[in-house]
Amino acid sequence: MIPTNTAYETNIRLPFLFIVFGVIAFAASQTIMLAAGPTIVNGAFRLPTIWAAAHLAMLGFALMVAMGAMYQLVPVAFLTPIWSERLGFVQFFITAAGIALFSASLAFHARAAFFPGLLLVLGIVLFLFQMAMTLRKQAKKNMMTLFVSTALVCLLFTIVFGLTLAFHFWSGTQTMDHLFALKTHILFGVFGWFTLLIIGFSYKMVPMFSLAHGFSMKPARYVYAAYVTGLAVTFVSFWKNHQAAFVAGAGLLFIAFALFVYHISSMLRKRMKKRLDRPFQFALLAIAIALILHGAAFILSFFGDHRKIAIVIYGYLLGWIMLSIIGYLYKIVPFLWWTHRYSKKIGKENVPTLKQMMNENWTAVQCALFTISAIGVTIALDVSNLPLFYIAQGAMTLFSLLFVGTVISVLRK
Amino acid sequence: MDIRELVLQQLRTVFDPELGINVVDLGLIYDLQISDGNIYILMTLTTPGCPLHDSIVGGVKRALEHIDGIRDVKVEVTWNPPWTPERMSEEALRQLGHFS
Repeated sequence: MIPTNTAYETNIRLPFLFIVFGVIAFAASQTIMLAAGPTIVNGAFRLPTIWAAAHLAMLGFALMVAMGAMYQLVPVAFLTPIWSERLGFVQFFITAAGIALFSASLAFHARAAFFPGLLLVLGIVLFLFQMAMTLRKQAKKNMMTLFVSTALVCLLFTIVFGLTLAFHFWSGTQTMDHLFALKTHILFGVFGWFTLLIIGFSYKMVPMFSLAHGFSMKPARYVYAAYVTGLAVTFVSFWKNHQAAFVAGAGLLFIAFALFVYHISSMLRKRMKKRLDRPFQFALLAIAIALILHGAAFILSFFGDHRKIAIVIYGYLLGWIMLSIIGYLYKIVPFLWWTHRYSKKIGKENVPTLKQMMNENWTAVQCALFTISAIGVTIALDVSNLPLFYIAQGAMTLFSLLFVGTVISVLRK
Repeated sequence: MDIRELVLQQLRTVFDPELGINVVDLGLIYDLQISDGNIYILMTLTTPGCPLHDSIVGGVKRALEHIDGIRDVKVEVTWNPPWTPERMSEEALRQLGHFS
């Protein structure tokens, strides 16, 4: 038995800053979305207020929470300390200011979005630099490193194409086909950055939260190969405006995700923890929802119905990316606060378990509210039903406020 | 009480906060040596890269430091051999939902 003492902890203020900003941005985005009901139901997605809400949700919430979670998870999952925590704090304030100003610009003066967009890009580039410097120090690279590194590259592509879009609005000129830039921005942002990141960290969190042991990691390489090829083929289909390539790309992404589902199922069959925590069950539900939506996107790719595909992507954002993040946040937030409050007390006095930091039944009610709201909003958009949209989006807004309250309530434990 | 029993009793107060199971029942303690007031513990965690690494290892050390007559506590962590579920006690398995 060889002793190997290695300990890595991040200053919890850093991930917490990102997460608290994220949940507040989420509540703001859902409130704006509620107000934009009539236009969004009529299929007019490309409007300033909807851009503002979408970017607040995806950048303010999903991206900021993902960054915060990475500041927490990368050191422990990759056994490598964060390269510079000071840079992390600087990066937080730049990115937060960039997102707030960028979203406000989109809502009130889209042409001016280019300059706050540059600030936002600076924040994201600093994050990419931080992660690159951290990951290169990792002694033993593994499949998770590959997924997370590729996700970071996709994030870089996302901001390059996003900045191109903002430049088009600002200058009134087009450096490339605007629709190609928009589709590619969404492809790399949603399916590249977020999905690869969640898949990568799922390979750490699923065995950890289910206490699964003795499973093979071999399928992960096939998941990776199929998914990245799917991304590349879909990108080429946008570039060449090639319908058959689009079908092939969507098909590969579906196959890759189905392989991922198979792999996660095989892990869960090897789990020692029979009763899984409720928030974690919702993170698993998100995986099932994503598989269905990948299948739907593949079927729709044959018909080239852009409106339906846009609705599937919206459902994917809510049912896969947001629900995964929310499910895992209900685990990560108590952990962070527990570490801050009780880490040094364990062994000296009775300390609560992580489960006692948050009312599990209450989180399950909230996750259920989110899931039902997300399904309601997606159906309302599909059938263009304004009353249903108001009910579902109202429930989503209520969820977002409860979510903020729950996260903040942990800080009182 | 025998000093070894006392040490084990103290170790049973250190819980994995995620699972709510103590480190002894989880089978995390690989070796325990006590001599002349010095304790040496070789232990593991359920997975490398466990986010609770510092908390649990620090907890083990703190739980033993205040025992009367103990001068020094040394805790080392190893991943070799890796932890396996077979190391868990029946009580730990029961808490994880087995036998129900």
